[in-house]
Amino acid sequence: MITLDRHFVIVPNDYNEAGKASSELKRTLKRMGFSRDLIKRVSVASYEAEINIVIHSLGGTADFKIIDDIIYLQFIDCGPGIPDIELAMQEGYSTANEVSRLNGFGAGMGLKNIKKAADDMILVSDCNGTVLKLKFYIREDDKNVG
Amino acid sequence: MKLSQIVHKFGCTVYTKDLYDPEKTIDFAFCSDLMSDALMIMSTVKDGETLRDSVLITGLTTNQSIRTAEMLDVEVVLLVRGKIPAEPVIELARESGIVLLGTNLTMFNVSGLMYQEGIQGISLHK
Repeated sequence: MITLDRHFVIVPNDYNEAGKASSELKRTLKRMGFSRDLIKRVSVASYEAEINIVIHSLGGTADFKIIDDIIYLQFIDCGPGIPDIELAMQEGYSTANEVSRLNGFGAGMGLKNIKKAADDMILVSDCNGTVLKLKFYIREDDKNVG
Repeated sequence: MKLSQIVHKFGCTVYTKDLYDPEKTIDFAFCSDLMSDALMIMSTVKDGETLRDSVLITGLTTNQSIRTAEMLDVEVVLLVRGKIPAEPVIELARESGIVLLGTNLTMFNVSGLMYQEGIQGISLHK
């Protein structure tokens, strides 16, 4: 059964709005009564992924779904893509510019942090864009906590 | 430390007066201007109470310091070096339930003074 289905457009270089989709996701998950630990893992991963689109891409979308006991987050952007995913996954590696650093990002921890938070992560990228799919399993002790 | 002690000792301005609870206890802190680092380190803390009793000390006055605190369940953000947040940032803090404070002290000095008062730093939990 689908219990959440939300779609957001993410605007490139808009640091005022950056994180809004993840904030809304977090508030929804809180209202749904999930455990703090699960909500934190989902929110942190979502926020990092959203910020990545704002910093690095030409714009994209975020889709949040809950189907049965799995939370699915999908982030798609329309390029320019990650030239070397293995390198981008390394702690401390960043191609972020000065503007994003002035906004507190670009430490090169984003993808690593996302991978750590999610139960499952698929990242596909070429010059046409990047697709990031994340899965979080809702365990029995994550339900009806809040 | 009680939040009221922090405000009094470090001469803090309280930007979100309606959310300010003078009795709130602060036992932990993390300081950084890079929100990526705050997310990386603070998200490894498993105990939700620890984060709720934490303060994020930063010189970053943009929305992103508020968003980062919200994602981590950190309820207090302390801006250092006399930085004044813009009204939309204060509004976002209110909307997100984040107590936003500001002090003229530098990050090093306020952190050192808090450490002297027994506030512990948050470290990476492997």
